Amino acid sequence: MTGFVQNLIDGLGNGSTYALMAVGVSLIFGVMHLVNFAHGELLTVAAYMTYFLQTRGTSWWIIVPLAITTAMVTSMGVEAVAFRRIRGANPFTLLLTSFALEILSHACWKLFVGSERKQFDKPGWAFNTFQVGPFLFEVWDVAAIVTTIVCLTATAWILRNTLFGLAIRASAEDFDAARLMGVKANRVISGAFALAGVLAGIFAALSLMRTGLAEPRMGANPLLKAVLAAIIGGLGSLQGAVVGGLALGVAEVFVRGYVGDWFGSQAAGLTDGVVFALIALLFVVRPQGLFNVATAERV
Amino acid sequence: MLAVEQLTTRYGSLTALHQATLRVDEGELITLVGPNGAGKTTLLTTITGLLRPAGGRVTFEGRDITGWDPARLVRAGLALVPERRRIFKDLTVAENLKLAGVTASAADRRERLARLPEVFPILRDRWSTAAGFLSGGEAQQLAVARALMSDPKLLLLDEPCLGLAPTMVDVVFDLLVDLRRQGRTILVVEQQARRALSIADRAYVLRTGRIVAEGPAAELARRADLFEAYVGGASAVGGGTAGGGAP
Amino acid sequence: MGNTRSSQFVSRTAATAAGNLALVALVLGAGLVYGIGGSSAREDLVTDALINLVIVIGLQVFIGNTGVLSFGHLAFGSIAAYTTALLAVPATRKEVLLPNAPWGIQGVEINVLVATLLGVAAAVVIGALLGLVMARTSGLAATMITLAFLFVTEAVAENWIDLTNGAGSISSVPRLESRTWILLAVALAVAAAAAFRHSAIGRFAQAGREDELAAGAMGIDLRVTRFAALVVSAGLVGLGGSMRSQSLGTVNPTQFSFELSVIVLAMLVVGGMRTISGAIVGTVLVTVGKDVFRWLGDGPGGLPTVEGMPDFFLAALLLAVLLTRPSGLLGDWDAGQLAARRLKASEIRSAGRTQYGSGSSESGSALVADGLGVTFGGFTAVDAVSLRVEPGEVRGLIGPNGAGKTTFVNLLTGMVPATRGSASLGGSPLAGAPHAIARQGVARTFQNLRVFANLSVRENVAVAALSAARHRADRPPVDVDELLAVSGLADLADRPAATLDYGNQRRLEIARAAALRPEFLLLDEPTSGMSDTESEAMIGHVRTVAGLVGAGVLVIDHDLGFITSICDRITVLDHGEVIAEGTPAEVRADPAVIAAYLGSQADEIPANEVQA
Repeated sequence: MTGFVQNLIDGLGNGSTYALMAVGVSLIFGVMHLVNFAHGELLTVAAYMTYFLQTRGTSWWIIVPLAITTAMVTSMGVEAVAFRRIRGANPFTLLLTSFALEILSHACWKLFVGSERKQFDKPGWAFNTFQVGPFLFEVWDVAAIVTTIVCLTATAWILRNTLFGLAIRASAEDFDAARLMGVKANRVISGAFALAGVLAGIFAALSLMRTGLAEPRMGANPLLKAVLAAIIGGLGSLQGAVVGGLALGVAEVFVRGYVGDWFGSQAAGLTDGVVFALIALLFVVRPQGLFNVATAERV
Repeated sequence: MLAVEQLTTRYGSLTALHQATLRVDEGELITLVGPNGAGKTTLLTTITGLLRPAGGRVTFEGRDITGWDPARLVRAGLALVPERRRIFKDLTVAENLKLAGVTASAADRRERLARLPEVFPILRDRWSTAAGFLSGGEAQQLAVARALMSDPKLLLLDEPCLGLAPTMVDVVFDLLVDLRRQGRTILVVEQQARRALSIADRAYVLRTGRIVAEGPAAELARRADLFEAYVGGASAVGGGTAGGGAP
Repeated sequence: MGNTRSSQFVSRTAATAAGNLALVALVLGAGLVYGIGGSSAREDLVTDALINLVIVIGLQVFIGNTGVLSFGHLAFGSIAAYTTALLAVPATRKEVLLPNAPWGIQGVEINVLVATLLGVAAAVVIGALLGLVMARTSGLAATMITLAFLFVTEAVAENWIDLTNGAGSISSVPRLESRTWILLAVALAVAAAAAFRHSAIGRFAQAGREDELAAGAMGIDLRVTRFAALVVSAGLVGLGGSMRSQSLGTVNPTQFSFELSVIVLAMLVVGGMRTISGAIVGTVLVTVGKDVFRWLGDGPGGLPTVEGMPDFFLAALLLAVLLTRPSGLLGDWDAGQLAARRLKASEIRSAGRTQYGSGSSESGSALVADGLGVTFGGFTAVDAVSLRVEPGEVRGLIGPNGAGKTTFVNLLTGMVPATRGSASLGGSPLAGAPHAIARQGVARTFQNLRVFANLSVRENVAVAALSAARHRADRPPVDVDELLAVSGLADLADRPAATLDYGNQRRLEIARAAALRPEFLLLDEPTSGMSDTESEAMIGHVRTVAGLVGAGVLVIDHDLGFITSICDRITVLDHGEVIAEGTPAEVRADPAVIAAYLGSQADEIPANEVQA
């Protein structure tokens, strides 16, 4: 039982960070029908910036807000420069373009900074552990979960209670009708990218505190998890993204445990494979994801 | 107040609107009738900026508003109640209204949010219900109330009676008459020509993208061949302006 | 007729294959020139490009024909490569590399050619399994499943050390000494891709790529077409993958990674996914370009060394193409077209006359709806509509906006499941998926035009005729060219359907539906957006086409002049119910109908009471 709960805590810790990214992916899909494969690159930008500052002695108290701001600004910039151009294109083109941007970003970092890993110091306090009953917690775990809860609650609040949030929800449902109400198209989309950027920045800060690394392709894996989580939950559904992220995090931890038990040490790396197989199964059974976001096609 | 001159709109290879010309003066209730596929929605969609015209001009209060972004038009004083309403089903009634007040100041928005439920009691009952649960008639009232949130100078309605039961149709038409009495300028596109003509000042008949008849509403209503002109009977093939066309 | 069709198939395939093989020969020639006097690295580049060709052409068979994006195809390469290696690597090496290999693989050692074939077979089998799994999905979900498939395969390859040695590689894979085998593989790939492209299943797949709904309405079962495309492409990519490891002498998971999947996909997209030539050009461009940029990155002539140049090139090229020419550099152009012109191979025109008017009037199939209805949530769009259209009759279906006319047609054609009542054709129930209903003999056009945009005008109609030949073989076939001529489209036959003007596209859609040789044509607002003169012309057109194929007609439209002239009887819907039915004269005079359109006579016509 202890093991189960411990696993659950670990899973939720990871899962909540996936949720942060997944919500961003779903937000962007909601307003643009674009699956943004370049979203993970915000992490890379934040990472290199962190490396640059941290190795010059800047305190984490300054680095974190800067990382978040950088991610937000970059996100809005990419939208303005690249995605605005292809608004309304067919899904195939949209997907491939965001994809091309992702690999362009990888290539550029490799080109201009080099492909070897850059390391920087992690804040020591993050890894202090403490015991609560039979369970072991790292400060980071707690920080991650608490931060994520705060962020997602804040995001939900924004979406519920502010005009901006209303505009995003309305635009996701019926973009043109929102414009007819006086909502400015560019502002809404820009805003969605900004919000997604902030969430990505927070994820970056948390993740960087744990890993202390920067490398060109680091955004690929988190992005993939975010996209999968968003699709599992149903693209465009923000609750779905949260549920998808948590589910993915928890599934990973449990699958790793069971796979390890069943197949022995050799199979530790099979975890990803099993998780993917399960996800594929879900798509077969319920292609629209867990939470239905209906898009009817008029004949 | 509103002048549409020689407006032409295309969808790819299809010309949906041919050099349509009409005008709406302040305080008038104008109706545009015609069968489905005639281009009525295309006309409104072009005026309100969701479609760019291939030719022609739209002016509002003397300013050329052709091709303006819809959001900008709302700020200029135009509001559209779209065909089939297009209310935001996942948002509550209150949220639908609040969003539609985005162009107003916070004070004005609050004031209108307080006032509108008095005009539309239905809304008060359903204030926190998701708009997707409203009946057709309730949704129509919400759609009109939404448009009023921006306190428009010109109210445009696209087939407000579509899909409504006859009793609700009455409610909608009474509402339009009320709004006109309050001094609002209205352009309503309707398929149910007789009712629309009975409350309008002037009217236009649109068929296959062209204005085929215009004039005082009462006169048009009296035309014996209205049905023909309307749905394209053999006698109306190649029909021209008021007076009926020869085959 | 069958003769003509198969000879058309053979000649078209031959033309496409010939054209593309010529293209490959051109590339090879250039490569050989490049290789002269160069290091072995240059030779390797040419070999590399050739193997890429096999893989990318294989990928084209799937993505190009179905329009479904797949990230996972390299997994087939992996499966074939490992199978080949496990079967062909000498037993002595296997003892060392894979001491714990399961299933007695260690002892197996067979001829590498046979092993390659078995590897391809393995890829095909797995492809079939994946195809079954993916049958009902499309779009993004399908793409994600292929991605998952890739990762699962990669995970197995990396972690099942006993079988694959993971990242440690299986070496001593028998090496390909001569390039002949690779050239044969390329030729095979080109031939297979060309054959698939011109085969019935390939053409059906392409129709589905253009418009899923319209393809279904033409009787095409997209599950089958996608399955076939997947299986064929799995084999080809498997072949390429196996050859790759044979040319390198080892098998390793990194040869089939996600990164490489992206590169292979980019090769296809850059050149143009819809044609084989696009695959070839894209592959060569990217392979050569990457090498050039790698060379640049190595700091020639004193320039500084930079990493990541090849990746940069690839990403920038892909982005540039997507933003400026999303259909790829070649678009729909294929080298086979040149060859076709040279060989004058293709169009065997008017080989037979369509038999007039036979069909439904003889067989007596009436179209019957019995209390058919559907309720969405709380809203009843169609409320127990019953009607009967006699064989050969032309029936109009009219009513104000929102009356439920299109929904009714959607019910009849199976696009919307009925919640009450039923429909039948000639006594047999009309039920099942849209393609099944189309095969029973109900063909339709759409309110929002759905032609197959990138296919030629002729192909739009021909693919429907092909579907009829397959699934309605008991009916006499329709002559495509005659149908085109009658529709005024003969001169436009070779143009992409999307370039036609609106009226012609509408006529094309009707011709396409008629090519199915249906019992009934369901036309949804055929004159929508047309001027009066065009509408008048449509009257004759619909009559002629329907008469040509012997179909009855149910036509929705708002132009009463058109409806009156063309229809024998008219059914009027309002609020989802039938409110009148009769001859045109009866209906036009019916006060209920007039009221439905114009609104009820609430007041007598007054002077407007409200003065400002």
